[in-house]
Amino acid sequence: MSDFEAIVIGGGHAGIEASLALSREGFKTLLITQNIEAIGRMSCNPSIGGLAKGNLVREIDALGGEMAHLIDASMIQYRILNRSRGPAVQAPRAQADKALYSSIARKTLESERNLRIFMDTVVDLLIEDGLVRGVVTERGNRISSDVVVLTTGTFMEGRIFIGEYDGEYGRLGERAAIGLGTKLREYGFNVGRMKTGTPCRVNRDSIDFDELEEESGDETLQPFSFDYDSVYRPHLSCYITYTNEDTHRIIRENIKYSPLYGGKIVGRGPRYCPSIEDKVIRFPERPRHQIFVEPEGLYTNEMYLNGLSSSLPERVQIEFMRTIPGLRHVEVVRPAYAVEYDYLDPLDLYPTLESKILKNLFIAGQTNGTSGYEEAASQGLVAGINAAQRLKGAEGIVLGRTDSYIGVLIDDLTLKGTKEPYRMFTSRAEYRLKLRDGSADQRLTPIGRRAGLVGDEKYERLLDKLSKIDEMKDYLKRNRSKTQNKSLYDELKEPDVSIFSFDSLQSYSNEVKREVELEVKYEGYLKRQEIDIERVKRDESVKIDSDFDYDKVDGLSSESREKLKMVRPMTLGEASRISGLRVSDIALLQMALRGKRHD
Amino acid sequence: MYSLGEPVYALATPFSPSALALIRISGESVIDRLSPYFSSSLDKKESVGVSFGLLKDDGGSKIDEAVAIIYKKGHGYTLEEAIELIIHGSLPSIKRALILLSKIGFREAERGEFTYRAFMNGRIDLTQAEAVEEIVKSKSMRAEMDALERLEGSLKRELNGIKETLIDIIASLEVYLDYGEDEVIDDWVFPEDRVGSIISRLKAMIATYSSSHLYSDGAIVVISGRVNAGKSSLFNAILRENRSIVSEEEGTTRDYIETEILLGDIPVRLFDTAGLREAEGKAESEGIRRSKELIDKANLVIEVIDSEEEREDEKTLCVHSKSDIYGSRGSFSFSSVTGDGLGEILSEVEKRLSSSVSISDSVPKIDSQRQKDALESALGDLVYVSESRGLSYDIIALYFQSALEKLRILTGEATSEDILSRLFSSFCLGK
Repeated sequence: MSDFEAIVIGGGHAGIEASLALSREGFKTLLITQNIEAIGRMSCNPSIGGLAKGNLVREIDALGGEMAHLIDASMIQYRILNRSRGPAVQAPRAQADKALYSSIARKTLESERNLRIFMDTVVDLLIEDGLVRGVVTERGNRISSDVVVLTTGTFMEGRIFIGEYDGEYGRLGERAAIGLGTKLREYGFNVGRMKTGTPCRVNRDSIDFDELEEESGDETLQPFSFDYDSVYRPHLSCYITYTNEDTHRIIRENIKYSPLYGGKIVGRGPRYCPSIEDKVIRFPERPRHQIFVEPEGLYTNEMYLNGLSSSLPERVQIEFMRTIPGLRHVEVVRPAYAVEYDYLDPLDLYPTLESKILKNLFIAGQTNGTSGYEEAASQGLVAGINAAQRLKGAEGIVLGRTDSYIGVLIDDLTLKGTKEPYRMFTSRAEYRLKLRDGSADQRLTPIGRRAGLVGDEKYERLLDKLSKIDEMKDYLKRNRSKTQNKSLYDELKEPDVSIFSFDSLQSYSNEVKREVELEVKYEGYLKRQEIDIERVKRDESVKIDSDFDYDKVDGLSSESREKLKMVRPMTLGEASRISGLRVSDIALLQMALRGKRHD
Repeated sequence: MYSLGEPVYALATPFSPSALALIRISGESVIDRLSPYFSSSLDKKESVGVSFGLLKDDGGSKIDEAVAIIYKKGHGYTLEEAIELIIHGSLPSIKRALILLSKIGFREAERGEFTYRAFMNGRIDLTQAEAVEEIVKSKSMRAEMDALERLEGSLKRELNGIKETLIDIIASLEVYLDYGEDEVIDDWVFPEDRVGSIISRLKAMIATYSSSHLYSDGAIVVISGRVNAGKSSLFNAILRENRSIVSEEEGTTRDYIETEILLGDIPVRLFDTAGLREAEGKAESEGIRRSKELIDKANLVIEVIDSEEEREDEKTLCVHSKSDIYGSRGSFSFSSVTGDGLGEILSEVEKRLSSSVSISDSVPKIDSQRQKDALESALGDLVYVSESRGLSYDIIALYFQSALEKLRILTGEATSEDILSRLFSSFCLGK
């Protein structure tokens, strides 16, 4: 008899979702964290959501996850991005009160009946017969369980760098978890190093706001969660300023002190979230770079300098910052730093996020080479759901890339791997027209229901929404336009006609109106995309047994054969997305699978 | 059913008496397996080698002198171990050689199996595989040249060029979709010039289809005219004049007769219709319907007239019959009795056929329906985005993606990662 049915290692955004999913499905779960005060801590930017990421948050909610509730209760600014660039690519982003976000997360975990929280550091795994059986901690506790979810973030063998200084931390001032990475290497895991960075936090009182542009966000706050229709929260502004030639000159003169350029850091950093020194070196022709000055919360003076991530020495950071309008008298509270940490190659994972190397071990978050709170939480939820499926003896739940950004995220990670911290972008999703944030509940809540995470109330809200949508479409088809000789439905198809101009629909919620408007206006495009999706799903329906013998497929190139053996795709569709696999090899595989089915 | 690796053979030249015959062999250890039946060593030191010797049957008696071209694995057309055996083209020799190969345990290859193996082994992509098929099927040198050109990858190169441009455009657009208006502030500008240039190149490539098609599938020329105008006389006179007659057979209806001739480089299917007069019986009107259909399909109609007015248009060439009786009239006239005027008429037909297709030398030619369909569909997407105003970025991106995907399917590949890479290498992004 195990001590717990499930152990979740780590209390970050992935660990929160994983431990809640497991405990809410009724499993006796232990969350082990190095520091209970740090549960749900936002290590970097003080915001949740954004393009593609906002969609992830809403998908997490649709499946029965927690992130949307946490940000809804702690937001201090809300904005829909890219409203003008098309509905398929717009998404919500909210600034968060970091301390509030974190304490609500902690309180949520503490209130869960089946969940216990314990402060310790995991240094080893208990393994029996190729199965994970529990964990060993720094203080010598041996705790057994049937499944383990590993979410180490930047803490596994973490090391931070500021100029010539370095130390064993996962976040500034927070001790790294030393030991587990070494053990996992011994057990045959493919462990690599990745790097990320975070900018300075400065004192609000030292900023000259009259030199900054103010950005106040949308007037009306909207919830990320599908569970309620409105949120009411206090509202703070962000500010914008720019670097200049002086800033860049100081950075260039001091680049030799950068641990990255000096060669001390070996891990790969994200190209899309470059440090300011990266931007200056790689894009010398740019005269200036945009800096966002963002509040960290209601009850703190700290301000976050979005765009100024750096690992240059502290004196250099202060010197270049003081060349920037608004920051000429700036006082630093926490310096910018880079952090390098162990990650595990996500190619060693099934799309259920279970390890191929160690059964019953599920891995999520930055440990898998991703970046971002939303990406971490998405994986934590999927890992939690599938760990619970395992405990139930049920089949794993795999989200398809045609149905969700989460599906795209996991499909990319487990089939293509990643060489740098992976961030979600709308351009990674082929079928983003369908993956709009407002349709996440329609796409995923039935799946969350099947997993056991969606209660009656949430499910009935979805059914109610669906019937309202049908009802409204029906009404629009049956009623004639007042101004034109056509139905309201056809009138709505015109680009400059808004559903909000139809007086007769006032009884419906804005959310339902927006969905209907989109579905009507984009009907043709959605149908077009649906045809492609059907084609993809056909390939996805051709299953490949986990013990399929690739050596028996005649004519496969040896390179493709090795790749297939390593990745072990579960469907033909997955096989076709493995990078570097030849089309002719896919054709062969397809024929071999076809032949097999005729047997 | 096609397979890979299994030794197969095929006679690559026609099974008819000729100077030389070529037999292709491909598959695992075919060299070792053929060696006992060849008097000289089938040397495998070089990646490609030639050996001259005697081909002997399993009883040891001589079949023929033969030249064997030996390709080690990875070097021949199929990338498998392969032999090309050249022997004299006498029917008994060919027969005995083929019997020997099947006795050794080689299988006769299926149609297209060598190309299939070349594709499967990664030797060629889909467009190239089709070109090979076209060479085999091509009815004239011109089509063969087109097919050869494509095998070298000119179509592939052209498509890759267009794909590159599309990826560039998509990458520049995706920046606006991946980043918020607070980070990427300005507006995306529709690249009219670049899209316009792709559109005209696609159009030019599509236009080559009808011309390529003309050279490989042939043109349809229909002789029509009133009863007794002299249609059949013209038809028969052309048959006598043209020595390149391929076949002659009764039409499937009693209403027209068909033959295949070669005019210059163009294979021509020549039809003699029954005349489009008013129907009397049912069978007759069915024949008339078919004749009309044929005229609609025709690349050129030769209208034979004896006394009435010329009704010439783009597709119609009017010729006057019976010049031996009435003398020369109009631009073209002929006599089926003396043969006068036939040469002029035939060269006019050839001229009209080849000018009806404008061949642009600046783009590679396509010659399969699949290619044409894919190009037209990609073209449709691009025309839609460039002509529609007020589309949002996500929809514009959808159409560019769709056009790109169609070109990728055409060249037999499918990836989508390169867009992000390009996006990152050419833009400075990120907070």
